[in-house]
Amino acid sequence: MQTANQPGESAIEVSHLIKIYKEGQIRAVDGLNLKIKKGEIYALIGANGSGKSTTMNLMTGCLFPTSGSINVLGLKVPEKRRVVASQIGVAPQEYAVYNDLTVEQNIWFFAKLQGMKKDQFEPRLKMLLPIFNLEKRSKTTVYNLSGGMKRRVSVICALIHEPRILFLDEATVGIDPVLRAFFWEYFRSLADAGLTIVLTSHVMDEAERADRIGLMRAGKLIEEGTPSDIKQRCGCQSIEEVFIKLSGGQATDE
Amino acid sequence: MSNLRTKRFSGNRVMAVSWRVLKQIFRDKRTLGMMIIMPAIIMLIFGFTLGGQVKNVPILVDNQDTGYNVAIGPNSSSSFHFGDNITASLQGDDRVKVTTGSFESGKNGVDNGTYYAAIAIPANFSNSLFLKSRGQDLNTSIPIYVDGTKPQNQASIFGALQTALQNLSGSGIAIDKQFAFSGVELSGLDVSIPSVIAFVLTFLVLLISLIIVSRESTSGILPRLYTTPLSAIERLLGYSIALLLLGIVMVAVILGIGIGVFGVTVGGSIYLLFLGAVLYALAHVFMAVFLSNYARNELQAVQIAPLIALPSMALSGMLIPVNSFPAWVQTVAKFIPMYYGNKIFEGIMLKGYGLGNLIPEFLIISVVALIFFVLAVATVKDRISA
Repeated sequence: MQTANQPGESAIEVSHLIKIYKEGQIRAVDGLNLKIKKGEIYALIGANGSGKSTTMNLMTGCLFPTSGSINVLGLKVPEKRRVVASQIGVAPQEYAVYNDLTVEQNIWFFAKLQGMKKDQFEPRLKMLLPIFNLEKRSKTTVYNLSGGMKRRVSVICALIHEPRILFLDEATVGIDPVLRAFFWEYFRSLADAGLTIVLTSHVMDEAERADRIGLMRAGKLIEEGTPSDIKQRCGCQSIEEVFIKLSGGQATDE
Repeated sequence: MSNLRTKRFSGNRVMAVSWRVLKQIFRDKRTLGMMIIMPAIIMLIFGFTLGGQVKNVPILVDNQDTGYNVAIGPNSSSSFHFGDNITASLQGDDRVKVTTGSFESGKNGVDNGTYYAAIAIPANFSNSLFLKSRGQDLNTSIPIYVDGTKPQNQASIFGALQTALQNLSGSGIAIDKQFAFSGVELSGLDVSIPSVIAFVLTFLVLLISLIIVSRESTSGILPRLYTTPLSAIERLLGYSIALLLLGIVMVAVILGIGIGVFGVTVGGSIYLLFLGAVLYALAHVFMAVFLSNYARNELQAVQIAPLIALPSMALSGMLIPVNSFPAWVQTVAKFIPMYYGNKIFEGIMLKGYGLGNLIPEFLIISVVALIFFVLAVATVKDRISA
């Protein structure tokens, strides 16, 4: 399902996006404008409550906006979200996998929801499990896995149907640095092949690996660009420094 | 803190735990409400339905007694109508609600559930009694055709009849019992199994379905499912099919143990019984899928099942026959699905009814299923509501 990278063509376009939560009248997203190109790895960073996850939920269509427009792969969201749903893969902040099922059963469930047949599923699973270092765990009940392993299962569930856009909401939390480095390489190769990756992260060295970074604060995009551009503009040595300077200096642990 | 010694036992720590538990409960408004509303509802319902003796059992009396005239002088005579005395006594007794009519129509009424007994007082009743008191060896008996499926009703009927016959006691009046349906007196187990089936299905199908569906919404998976092509209705139907299969397994276990282990009699078709049980389970699956919208966690989901099942148990006539409730409670009972579940299971198992006798009940359960399906579809969430 992946298409070759056509530079400049946007995968996601968001304009004047506003989300006000009913409870507490919180403006979680406040007039956001955003363009994410096809084949790009785009990292949304920001302090807790800055609106990253809300933005992601709005883009994936599981949360409806108060106003503004969202376009994903040329289709309006949330209006066309069912069609968009077959083109995207989402790994949410929670593990969001079934504890009572095995690794393979979980992945098969999400593959089935995407309309995959067993003969498409088998080779795809055989390819993905080793990449995420789970090939020996396919028959293990998810309940018995560590947090990091559950998160990897969750990412495979999002990737199984070869989506055109992958959304990762804090999806690499709890994964050890070696493995993380390993599958960042894999994500890079997928992006080179045309997959668009949108992620939120608190790990700043991870954000540095993105093609572009959007820094959010109070529901607004306050800085955007390639990691080196941003560092230069802010006169900082690292994205972490940028983060502390611009995000309001709040703690980043979540 | 100047004193670094830690006490081995601290009342403060105990109170901290109590304080925390109460704070949590007060924040969980649904649990709090359940704690107050549930006992209140159960007390009220059981109070209204269990109170006192079983009353107003509908019976039919056919008083054919022609009386007996005795000459007490050359020009005067006195007539005795013991049948009238008995009828009057029954009519004045609040344990039974008397309709008068022909014995045959009464028997039909018992067969189709209108009456619980039909009593015939024979034409020569007074005559025989009188002659018997004069030393003639005559057999006086009152035929009664009785529905044996409700022991409490049966007890009230025979109690009222005994009272009516008390003044004539010593006259050796025999009560000639004929049991409707199977023709034999049913055992306590026989008569209780149908409502146990209805109760177990109500309670377990609701409980298990609620737990399964609410677990999904508490595990963080639901928002993820919203981002897949799975539509809300597909999800709902998926739940329903799986839960219905579990319901069928439960039905099979209940019937298997009832029939296989306890030898419970099934007067009618076992296939119809199975069909009725599956339909009844389906209605409760849809009810659970609908109600799971209102449970934020598994604990709240678990609370819903008894909240429905316990009042249903009391109101459906499982413990005390519906006819003994106050009139308005009887009206409420007609809105309880288990009331119809009981009728279906009792009808098939104890009365040997076929589908033809139970069309209204099957229709009502189907409508209940449909209503809850529509409600579930109308309220099912397909996105994060915020």
